[in-house]
Amino acid sequence: MRLIRFLSIMLLAVLPTLALAHGPTRQKVTLGTDLAAAPAEVWAAIGDFQDMGWHPAIFATTGAGGNTVDATRVLTLGAEGGPVINEILYKYDAAKMSYSYRITEVDVAVLPVTNYSSTITVTARDGGGAHVEWRGAFYRGFPNNDPPEALNDDAAIAAVSGVYQAGLDALTARFGAGQ
Amino acid sequence: MRAPILAAALAIGLAAPAAAETIYVTNQGSSDLSIIDGDSLIEAARVPVPGNPAGLAVAPALGAVFVVSPETRVLRRLALNGGAITGEAVLDGLPMGVAVDAARGRILVTDWAGGRILVLDAATLAVTGSLATGAVPAGVALSPDGRFVVSADRDADQLSVFDAETFAPLHRIPTGHHPWAVAFAPDGRVLSADVLADSLTVADPATGRILGHVATGARPYGIAFAGTRGFVTNQYGDSVTVFDAATLRVEATVPVGEYPEGIDVSSDGRRVYVANWMSNTLGVIDAQSLEPLGEVATGDGPRAFGRFVAP
Repeated sequence: MRLIRFLSIMLLAVLPTLALAHGPTRQKVTLGTDLAAAPAEVWAAIGDFQDMGWHPAIFATTGAGGNTVDATRVLTLGAEGGPVINEILYKYDAAKMSYSYRITEVDVAVLPVTNYSSTITVTARDGGGAHVEWRGAFYRGFPNNDPPEALNDDAAIAAVSGVYQAGLDALTARFGAGQ
Repeated sequence: MRAPILAAALAIGLAAPAAAETIYVTNQGSSDLSIIDGDSLIEAARVPVPGNPAGLAVAPALGAVFVVSPETRVLRRLALNGGAITGEAVLDGLPMGVAVDAARGRILVTDWAGGRILVLDAATLAVTGSLATGAVPAGVALSPDGRFVVSADRDADQLSVFDAETFAPLHRIPTGHHPWAVAFAPDGRVLSADVLADSLTVADPATGRILGHVATGARPYGIAFAGTRGFVTNQYGDSVTVFDAATLRVEATVPVGEYPEGIDVSSDGRRVYVANWMSNTLGVIDAQSLEPLGEVATGDGPRAFGRFVAP
């Protein structure tokens, strides 16, 4: 027991310095949803890098640089004083209704991933309505072989999938499901 | 009699723009190897390779391709013709990159966890030696003249240069932040793709001197040369930076699939092949016109980290 507690303390002490290290196999998650709204209307709701308020897990978004490349934002999760995720914008294309960002800093206890990057895109559906696709690429939270369960590939995939699904579900509730 | 045969051969040659060659792509997500015919650009076979393979190196002289599965620490030798597994070895640490010294019958495998290059006998796959590198060596390459072995030591921000014959350590060359791939230009200069610096470091392996840098797109991941040009995949740029190999000046940025990683060229130098990790494709670019020539579907998560085209 004492050893396990010691190891987990050691792990937490070591992990922040490993934010840019990563395991051997990058993972990907792609989720999407069809919405009963015009693509421009959906993009107006989610296309501002400085406002992640459309996602139910986000309490606040603060940032700098607007929607230009290298803009930054800090997402506060849950409630005031909640855990934060630091992100930076590396692609923004309003005409294609798509932007790409990566996490510059997150505690793996909050989101068990490293080297995380993501793209969110709105497209028009044939016959009307919009499709939102959210995809991410990332490594598990533990940088070497034999990861602890909470920081393995499955944990990383489950966590990212959960974030995406919650966001997409909120959009479905807001705009209605596409038929 | 001879003229018609020659004419027929020429006609066949003209109909097939690239020399007959085979392209091998490690699909890390689906744990297999795509074997793609270079003439038809059709995936001829997909061979299971357990353990999320990433690094690979073709060795035409040995009739083999060597593939590293980092998650299970296994190096495998597969026959170039058909992809049958002809040998495997379980290694210590976390093996990642691989290069082949066919003339000396040696396989060189980086070990992330151990900070070293493992040396294996190409025939028996027995470990015969170990070279100390900096922390987290990823890419490894042998110089075209067979004199130097170089590793890109990701967490040490350096290249480690060794004498390929004696394994004497020669130089530690500082690079930009997080060098991942290492490759030799045809003239013998060595280059690292410095992922977090968005640039390449160019150095002389004989003297250890830095000769210059190349500004790339976001997150450079692989380097290859065709003719007078160098090509670099930009993982976050969904692009390939094209530069003049002599002057190091950037000539063009070519869009490719998403998250491009491994890059290699056809044996005739006319095509560039790019593994698009997110798109699950192998992209093909004309090395001269820089126009896209096509895309081939692969397994999930193609990485092709190493040399992967066999004539």
